[in-house]
Amino acid sequence: MKRIWLFAVGMAIVSLLPRTSCAAEDTFAVLPTKFTLDGENAEQHLLVEKLKDGEFIGNLLDGVTLDSSNPNVVVIEENIARPVANGQATIIAMVAGEQFKADAAVVGMEQPSPRSFRNDVLPVFAKVGCNMGSCHGALAGKGGFKLSLRGYNPSGDYARIVQEARGRRIERLDPGRSLILAKPSGAIPHKGGLRFEVDSPEYRAIAEWVAQGAPPPKTTDPKVDHLEILPQRMLLTPETEQQIIVQAYYTDGRVRDVTRWAKYESTDTAVASIDQQGSIRVMGHGVCAVTTWFDSKISIARLTVPYDNEVDEQLFVAEKDSDCFIDRLVIDRLAQLHLAPSPPADDPTFIRRVYLDTIGTLPLAGEVRRFLADESPDKRTSLIDELFSRPEFIDYWAYKWSDVLLVNGQLLRPNAVKAYYLWIREQVEKNTPWDEFARQILTAQGDAFENGATNFYALHQDAESMTENACQAFLGLSIGCAKCHNHPLEKWTNDQYYAMANLFARVKAKGWGGDARAGEGERTVYAATRGDLLQPSSGKPQPPTPLDGEPLDIDWSGDRRSPLADWLTSTENPYFARAIVNRVWANFFGVGLVEQVDDLRVTNPASNEKLLAATAEFLVENDFDLQVLMKEILRSRTYQRSSQPLPENSEDKRFYSRYYPRRMPAEVLLDAISQVTNVPSEFTEISFPSTDKYDTEFYPKGTRALELYDSAVLSHFLKSFGRNSRTITCECERTDTPSIVQVLHISNGDTINKKLSTEGNRVDALLDAGLADQQLVEQAYIFALARQPTADELSQLMPLISEVSSDEKRVVLEDFFWGILSSREFLFNH
Amino acid sequence: MIDLVGKGKAQTCNGATRRDFIKAGTLGAIGLSLPEYLAAKELGGVDPAKDDNACIMIFNLGAPSQLDTFDMKPDAPAEIRGPFKPISTTVPGIQISEILPGHAKIADQFSLVRSCHHLGAAVHDAGWQIVQTGRQFRGGVETPHPGSVVSYLRGRKTDLPSFVILPELMGRGGANLPNGQAGGFLGKAHDPFALMADPSQPNFQVPDLLPPSSIGTARLDRRRQIRDVVNSTIQNFEATENAKLLDSNFQAAFRLMTSPQARDAFDLTKEPKKVRERYGMNRFGQCCLLARRLVEAGVRFVTINTFLTVFDEITWDIHGSKPFTSIEGMKEIVAPMYDQAYSALIEDLVQRGMLDQTMVACLSEFGRTPKVNPAGGRDHWPQCFTCYFAGGGVRGGQVIGASDPIGGVPADRPVQPPDLVATIFHSLGLDYTHHLPGPGGRPFPLVDFGHQPIHELFG
Repeated sequence: MKRIWLFAVGMAIVSLLPRTSCAAEDTFAVLPTKFTLDGENAEQHLLVEKLKDGEFIGNLLDGVTLDSSNPNVVVIEENIARPVANGQATIIAMVAGEQFKADAAVVGMEQPSPRSFRNDVLPVFAKVGCNMGSCHGALAGKGGFKLSLRGYNPSGDYARIVQEARGRRIERLDPGRSLILAKPSGAIPHKGGLRFEVDSPEYRAIAEWVAQGAPPPKTTDPKVDHLEILPQRMLLTPETEQQIIVQAYYTDGRVRDVTRWAKYESTDTAVASIDQQGSIRVMGHGVCAVTTWFDSKISIARLTVPYDNEVDEQLFVAEKDSDCFIDRLVIDRLAQLHLAPSPPADDPTFIRRVYLDTIGTLPLAGEVRRFLADESPDKRTSLIDELFSRPEFIDYWAYKWSDVLLVNGQLLRPNAVKAYYLWIREQVEKNTPWDEFARQILTAQGDAFENGATNFYALHQDAESMTENACQAFLGLSIGCAKCHNHPLEKWTNDQYYAMANLFARVKAKGWGGDARAGEGERTVYAATRGDLLQPSSGKPQPPTPLDGEPLDIDWSGDRRSPLADWLTSTENPYFARAIVNRVWANFFGVGLVEQVDDLRVTNPASNEKLLAATAEFLVENDFDLQVLMKEILRSRTYQRSSQPLPENSEDKRFYSRYYPRRMPAEVLLDAISQVTNVPSEFTEISFPSTDKYDTEFYPKGTRALELYDSAVLSHFLKSFGRNSRTITCECERTDTPSIVQVLHISNGDTINKKLSTEGNRVDALLDAGLADQQLVEQAYIFALARQPTADELSQLMPLISEVSSDEKRVVLEDFFWGILSSREFLFNH
Repeated sequence: MIDLVGKGKAQTCNGATRRDFIKAGTLGAIGLSLPEYLAAKELGGVDPAKDDNACIMIFNLGAPSQLDTFDMKPDAPAEIRGPFKPISTTVPGIQISEILPGHAKIADQFSLVRSCHHLGAAVHDAGWQIVQTGRQFRGGVETPHPGSVVSYLRGRKTDLPSFVILPELMGRGGANLPNGQAGGFLGKAHDPFALMADPSQPNFQVPDLLPPSSIGTARLDRRRQIRDVVNSTIQNFEATENAKLLDSNFQAAFRLMTSPQARDAFDLTKEPKKVRERYGMNRFGQCCLLARRLVEAGVRFVTINTFLTVFDEITWDIHGSKPFTSIEGMKEIVAPMYDQAYSALIEDLVQRGMLDQTMVACLSEFGRTPKVNPAGGRDHWPQCFTCYFAGGGVRGGQVIGASDPIGGVPADRPVQPPDLVATIFHSLGLDYTHHLPGPGGRPFPLVDFGHQPIHELFG
């Protein structure tokens, strides 16, 4: 007995030790730290949250009791505070002998709290799924009863419930007999099954509303302004659980706990899942967000789950003082996630990489040699600067923006394609600031051939598609869902969609109609002074309003696109700078800060939010000069890291601990093969989706793939390797996934094989120069891989070439080139 | 849970030789995930007795109108029943549309499921994803196509890939969602081999299947040798999925190129002209014929996309107005082509004694509105549609489930996409409750809990 007791004491002492030692950094908080319970129906979920270095690191689920300092004002039942009488109280949590507090106030108990259709009844329908797309929220309703999708139309829903079907859906004198209660609670058969129990909070909310006379929604009802999630950011470990709280801020200043009524989803269930009570379960490592939806408002909370690696702190310290903000913010994130940064890339890797990413070509053998021989310490910076004055820089970026703006001969006539492309090209050449670039597209008017930018409006001829494509291209927002109903993943409402689209309602044109197979393609765009787009559900126009902006006077006769462009390109617009920054970033790093690259919705957060915000800020400070942004990226240590994974970062796919190797884009790869073999490709036909083709004379012999105006130029190679077909505004149209089809084409197709057998190509030139066998191999390496073969490679390869007769030498050298051109190292930028 | 070691002994699976197996093991060590290797680990959910079973999935892009094909409502008002008349079939009591006379003659071979429905959006791509894989993609989890699951669990049987899509992958559907014709969370190594050519073209060949005549075996060997040397030098790629995939694609491509059996399988000129014409000298007809040849040569799963997209092509998507198809377009062009090829395929499989081991599953993304629209067409309708199955153990000549009097909702035995997918897995001898390793190792059952094969089909 005595021994057991002694043992227990010993354990207690031991277990106290770490607690005292970390007490300095660990602390706790009761969330929310301050709240008001307004009226008898109010409630407030409470959390006791552990903090470390200012980060929330988990709930205390056991061993904590919450008490109210004044049970006559507030009582606490199962971590939920409920009101008793008006007054003040303090909520106290005892943790490890210390007190942590929150302030509570109760108001409104002196008067009844009537239930509101908008704020009490509709949230029940949304939570239990009555108005979801597969039930009564379907366009045609279900079982003769139709509700608006997730309750976006309260007055319509009210009419359906209270007036339609001769009012039999509610029974004011005996609420329990109302169909809207009897069916979902199982009292009478319901095809949708049991949705809630009698006397559940859901049931009570509806029953009390019916008993109070089923009052209709009023335009003066308070509405939700925004949601807040507590905690907003979390640093968690796998196999743990974390409850979150959702607070709704109403337009009348009230704040209400809607944890019970919100809907939840995880953006990456491999990292964490969340149930419909708002309880997160951490499954793996990395970052993810949980999104909450309540009354057409969306909010997210982010969680970070560090990897299990032991990383030497010194690796992080070195970069914390970098003069490049990118490095500082990336290293912070890596340190937080326990991911080690890979060391810097060597010079041959760097020159090849920076050429491919910045101007889309391989460095020539002479350029490689010069760079490798250069011993000046700032040679990388000088090289970066040189690239910006290369003509290929213009080709590469004009091609990229042509992807975004859909320069496509299957949609436009040839001369329009040319005018549109040349306009884009001119802006790249002049380094037009991106805000100005966007403004010129948005406000374009005049003749399609004289002002190429007007072809944006030849591609998109109705106000709805102008709106959707402008949002996608310049804001990274896809708002198409809101055309028919409130956007389910975003905050955009159906009214906002039509308010935005009405800004384009007066864009008119004369001339070519849109048949890509006929006509000259000449079209004149102008802004009419009257005309509106009707919102179909009301039959009236919405006041023309940029998504988040202020409405214009609907009677103003000026070109509405001008204030639209002001709003869109404003430095206050949270989307504009981020959208272009993310596109540029993804070009250099292969993985966008937000993925997909053009999907910037609130519910799809960046992998490093601080970095995206800072980079957007940087672009704004530099007046939207994209070249300044590109140079800042290129000079960063982050960009110049090796692609060699370390054991401590091999799991990383999006935090930039190393450079991620990726297959060259289709056009870059084709040009690289042409450059190495010194045999250009030919582009002579434009093809349509079915079988018809026509000749084009736009592209003289020697034209590189990156110099093409048009994604409809016939090329089996470019198609197989996943060029962007430019039919919808989406980066997803381009793919760098290897397929068997591509491999078969590399092996047997007529691209590499034909170039290798063409007379007078690189193979012949090397042979004619009378080089020794080893030099032949070295040259092939330099041209394709920007490096010398290693001693080991030479020892394996030399027998293959030195043991053949001289008349066989050509085919052997061809095979050398093929072996190199089909290697991972060639096909991938690394 | 995931079976890391199969229930069986450490035998090679499915006819793979010991050498293949060792090769698979070494490749696994450098980060490759070869199907054979994984299949060996996954023996648990696989019935070895059904190793020779195959599936041809015909996916009717655009979505046929149930009311104008297999679920006619002759007694409904004119705006419901539409312009076509029902005809009798070889099975007493089963009537189908007059636009499918070839089907009527072989109705004893297939069984209709008239009560299919799903809860997804009435958008083509959403339906493609849901009906083919049994799940709507959420939270970044992309469910693999059943063909990819077969590729993962069984590996390839011969030099041919285990999963082939004809003639190419589905194109645009309008909503820009993943179309479900990929390996999903099983990885791109289990993506299908897509033909990317029209087998009805006069000089049809698998693009780039054969090396130019100037490159014989000696040169091929030398080329591979040089490539291997270059590849072995820089090891930066091991953590990159696309680089690993490139390597496994090179393996698969070399196998295809060097195998006479594989080349033969794709060679339609080996078929008598009469046979080719019986299928119809059009893209879909020749795809059906090619599917039969591929299954004969050991491909486990062939998906035929009846059309490539619903835009600017005459398809089942009979909205009635351009750029979609009119109800006449369906009658004049779509139905005859489809009817001829399908009946030819079934007859051919019967004649060759292949039908018992080859399931032919005809699916679509949804059905169409019971009411004819003002353009004389019908619009999207996931609430009720008909899918049908033949072969692979299915007893033909049945009707499973029923729709209400206007073909608007299931009235009896509702069937959802996971049930359809489970039916295919069942025919292929795969346990539909077996778990696959999902993202982050999270186990995913082949179909979600609560769904099961349509057992009556096999009765």
